[in-house]
Order: sequence, then structure tokens, then C-alpha cells
Amino acid sequence: MAIFDYKVIVDNLPFLMRGLITTFQLALIGISGGLALGILVGMARLSSRPYIYYPATLFVNFLRSIPLILVIFWFYFLVPIIAGRPLGDFLSASVAFIVFEASYFAEIIRAGIQSIPKGQMQAALSTGLDYKQTMRHIIIPQALRNMIPSLLTQSVIIFQDTSLAYVIGLKEFLRSASVVDAREVRSLELYTFVGIVYFIFCFTMSYFTKKWEAKKGMAR
Amino acid sequence: MLAYEFRWSVLWEQPYGLWMLQGIWTTIKLGLISWVFALLLGIIVGTCRITPWKPLRFLATAYTEFFRDIPLLVQLFFWYFAAPRVLPSAMESYLYRQLPQAEFWITVIALSIYTSSRVAEQIRSGLQSIPQDQFHAALSTGLTYLQMYRYVTIPLAIRIMIPPLTTEFLTIFKNTSLAMTVGVLETTFMSQQIEAYTFRGLEATTGACLVYLAITMLVVSGMGLVEKKLAIPGLIARGR
Amino acid sequence: MIEIRNVSKWYGNFKVLDNINEVIQRNQVVVICGPSGSGKSTLCKCLNGLEDFQQGDIIIDGVSLKDPNTNLYKLRQKIGMVFQKFELYPHMTALENITLAPIKVKKMSRQEAEKKAMTLLERVGIPDQAHKYPGNLSGGQQQRVAIARALAMEPEIMLFDEPTSALDPEMIKEVLDVMIDLAKSGMTMVVVTHEMGFAKEVADEIIFMDQGRIVERATDKTFFSNPKTERAREFLNKILI
Repeated sequence: MAIFDYKVIVDNLPFLMRGLITTFQLALIGISGGLALGILVGMARLSSRPYIYYPATLFVNFLRSIPLILVIFWFYFLVPIIAGRPLGDFLSASVAFIVFEASYFAEIIRAGIQSIPKGQMQAALSTGLDYKQTMRHIIIPQALRNMIPSLLTQSVIIFQDTSLAYVIGLKEFLRSASVVDAREVRSLELYTFVGIVYFIFCFTMSYFTKKWEAKKGMAR
Repeated sequence: MLAYEFRWSVLWEQPYGLWMLQGIWTTIKLGLISWVFALLLGIIVGTCRITPWKPLRFLATAYTEFFRDIPLLVQLFFWYFAAPRVLPSAMESYLYRQLPQAEFWITVIALSIYTSSRVAEQIRSGLQSIPQDQFHAALSTGLTYLQMYRYVTIPLAIRIMIPPLTTEFLTIFKNTSLAMTVGVLETTFMSQQIEAYTFRGLEATTGACLVYLAITMLVVSGMGLVEKKLAIPGLIARGR
Repeated sequence: MIEIRNVSKWYGNFKVLDNINEVIQRNQVVVICGPSGSGKSTLCKCLNGLEDFQQGDIIIDGVSLKDPNTNLYKLRQKIGMVFQKFELYPHMTALENITLAPIKVKKMSRQEAEKKAMTLLERVGIPDQAHKYPGNLSGGQQQRVAIARALAMEPEIMLFDEPTSALDPEMIKEVLDVMIDLAKSGMTMVVVTHEMGFAKEVADEIIFMDQGRIVERATDKTFFSNPKTERAREFLNKILI
């Protein structure tokens, strides 16, 4: 039976922190890339043109039916083949995250825009504004305000999902901890530490999301 | 551009085909067993979140927040690598060496607890979305609390909660893929095993994708039928 | 000025408008009434192209709605509309609601647009509410802002789709007063409403619709005391006390 010995964490802190930075980097890429792609796909899901709507719908439904681990593996194999040479695990992981999370962002965006009552669109059109102007000044500002809690929640999820890059050996936070564990066999301390760090970040993010939601509700 | 020869037969040649089938079976077992525990735990915690008794409510909220804010993989690693260290060394070695399929059952624990915290959230939000007036109406006709729960609250709650719980059910199947990291021989593990033997990573991974796709479609159509049978017209605004 | 020729519309298998024919002259005030589901709101929304129709044509000042060359956006600048649920933009102040279209479509300068908007707010009686958000306005105030918003584009025709149906009884009068004032100033108006008092005072023609058809047309006040058709009689009995 092991006694809790936090010295192993202190000794390896620089290494673990580098892992945490990688986690942040991957999360940021996933969030920004995923959001950008997700906006495009989300808007495509609202299109009335079948050659835009169907590919977007297939994309979203397919990616939401499979585990992220598989997407990570898939791009891990695919990216070097397309590029003709190995490109490193961080790049493959980044591509995988951007594509995967885009499908989730796309749904949030589609639902956000569809939640604005039809009457708003009709009212704006009736004053002579065209479709683009209506989207820009009336629909999207309101939709964005409604979507922000879901977008923030999804970002927290992405932050947690980066741990899955473990499977291709990327030295993010969890993998760094397991590397130390392999050497020092102090699993209890290490994984508890990892858990606590993740908890602190994610809980803080969700806490602020909830506060924002409450504040927004009252400003109306 | 693509200097790659596809060899799709790795998916059904022996012994690879057999491996895939074993993997699929394990995935199904893992998913279903974890789901049962997750539902039970989740319902308990979820109803605790809205009891008037403060300490219980606090505990339930802490439970939910805690297990939702830590990645599932980290939780899995904790249960598999870290927690057994706390046991006396005799138990620890029994766990790792003698208990058949220890990794399977440890995954069940991790997956059930994680999913139960999410289920608890769905339960809480579902129960809270029933308008208060429904209860007032029932009670005003003379029903007791218990009768109200049985004839009004629970039937309504079940119908409201089926869509989000279906999503959770699908998520648990997708999450079984994490078990590959601790050596559970499920679909994803097997696909990477095939890759290790044949170097046909793209085919193997695509095959695994199709398996999860099939599971998803089966569950979605199945739950669609259940929803139709239970549907009350005009009750739920089907926004999605 | 507005010619509705043989217009029919289906939602799937359900025929919501059945061979509507009508001519509305300039400066006329036409009131459309009828039970719910009679198609009156739908007809109103067809007039400015917000709803499409399968058969027939609507011609506004010589411009056909069915003509593929017709620019609906330009057409809508000439037609203002007021909705049952007000539909003010909740994230903009009353003033901003009114000035948005003039600035973006007519390319007016902000000062000019705001000046005009304040004049309109005075006309509808609430200049002091200019900088308030819809959430802080009463229903009657919101609907008056909505009327000002529609008037800001200087339309030639004003459409009203049950403008007072969502209002508390005390606020109906303030909105109707604005509408009566508008009618007396010579605006061409098509008003879908149950407010028979309004109709009695300013309507040049009253159209009674039921199940997608125009059942009766009346051009004088005898409609209220002695409608010609059975269906209209039934309806009036139910809504007039």
C-alpha cells in the first residue's frame, strides 16, 4: 500500500507543466479551428440548396456517431499519406480535433439560428432589408447571445477531450503524467494530481459560464 | 497523390474478422452493462439534486460537478492505475493478476460513474421542466403525493427525458472506445491490433467507424419507435 | 393599386387560400375579418411576398409578384407591415428599431434617420420612449413603435396582421387611435382584425373570409347590422355583444 507522497509531482513539475501547455495549445486550436469550420458547416445546414445541405448534414451526422479516438487514429494514418511524409502527432491531432469538434459546433450554431422566431425575419424583411442584412443585423446578433453558453460548454468539453490525444503518444498533460508514472510508479499521486488540475480548470470555466448566463438573463 | 494500396479484406480475412467480431461483442457488453449502472446511479443522484434536504442536495451537486469536470480518460486511469494502489498489496495483486477481465470491470466502474453524473443532470433538468401547475392540479383533485408521482410526474418525466437519455446512451457506446487504453479487447482496440499486424491503419480504423455508425443507427431507430409509441401529441416541441 | 387575381395556396394537401379575387384602390382602407384558420393572415403575408402562393397572381402598382424579374426587396420598401406579436428587435432600442432600415436600405445618414424617427415617435405618441428597449415597453407602446418602424420607410401601402390581438384590453385603444389617424391621412391600408369599432369608423370595404374563401364583401355599414350571408351572420353574432 502506498503512502501519498507528493514529492514526485514537485520533482517532475516542469515536465508535467510542459504537457499542460501542450494541452492548452491543442485545446485552443480545436476551439478556434472547430468554431471557424463549425460556423461554415452550421450555415450550410441551413441552406435550401441540396448540394450544400446534404454534404453538411452527412458530415455532421457521421462525425457525431463515432468516438473521437477513432477520428484521432484516422487522421493519424491519413494525414501522412496525403502529405506523402510523416507530419508529427501534434499536427494529426490538431486536424482531428478541428474536424471533430466542428461537427458539434455546427449543431450549436444551427440550433441557435433556428431558435430565433420566424417573425423576426419577417418583420425585418417587411421593412425592406434583404436576407443578408437581416441575418447580419437581426438574426445573428440575437442567435449569438443565445449560443454563448453552449459554445462555452463545448469549449470545456474540448479541453477535456485533448486527453484522448494520449492514444497517439502526444505529450499532452495526461500522457506526460503516465510517462512519469512509468518511471516512478507513483500512480496514485500523479493521477490524482491530473484529476485535480483538470477539475480546477473545468469547474472554473463552467462556473463563469453559469454566471454569464444568469447575468445575460437579467439584462433583457 | 495517394501512393497507398487499399486492402479492405483485412476486415474480414481470418483471424482479423474474428477479432473484429469479438471486439464488437465486447463493446456491446461494455456499453449495456455500464448503462444499467449509470442509469440507476444517475436516477438516484438526479432526484437527490432536487430534494428539499440541503445536505443531500449539496452532496449530489458535488458528485455531478466533480465527475463532469474531469475527463473520462483521466477517471479511467485513476480507477485502473491509481485506486488499486490504495488497497492492501494482497488485494492489489489479486486484482491485477487473478481477477479475470479486471480491466473490463474497472472500465465498467469508471464509465458508469462518469455517465451517471451526466444522467443525473438530464434527470434533474427533466424533472424541473414539468410545470408546477401540473402538480398543483393533481393535488387539488385530492391525489396524495405518491399518487401524483405515479400517475402524473413519472409518466411526464419519462417522455421528456427520452431524447436526452438516448443521446447519453449513444455517448456511452462511443466512450467504450477509451477502454482500449487499458487493454480491453473492444472494437477500437481490435482495429488497432489489426493495424499492428497488417499496417493497414486506414482500412482498420474505417471498419471500426462503420461499427459505431451501425450501433448509432440501430439505437436511434429503435428509440424512435419507442418515442412514437409513448408520444403524447403536442407535449414536446420537437425543436431538433 | 393592389390586384389579387385567382390566388390559391396550399400547405401540402390543405388549401388555405381558395381562388381569391380582389381589387384594392389607392387610399382605401380594407378590413379583413373572419374566424381563425380562414386564411386572412396568410393572405396578408402574400401581399408583400413573405408567403408564396401556387396559383394566381398579385399585382401591386403594375408589378406582378409572380414575375421572376420582380425585386421583392425593393417592393417591400413600398409596403409596410405590422405584426400581431409586434416583432420588435429585442436587442435594439425603439429608436434603433425604427432607424435600421432607413440607414441600411435607403442609405440615410444617422442624424437624418433619427430626426425622422423622432417625428414618427411623436406621431404615434411616445417620443419619450425612444431610448428604451422593447423589454421595458408595454405591449401598446411596442406596437406603436412597430407602426413607426413600418412608417419609417415611407410606404404607400400598410398591412396590419391582427395588430391588437396580442394586447391587453386597455392598450387596444391607443393603437387603434394611431391606425385611425393613419387611415384619415389617406394611407392605403389592409387590416386583418376583429375590432369592428375600427372597421365601422374608417373602413371603405369589409371582406369576410371563411375557410380560404371570400364569403362576403360589404362597402357600407349595413354589414354589421345585416350581413347578407349566413356564415357572416353567425360570425358577427359570436363576436359582437
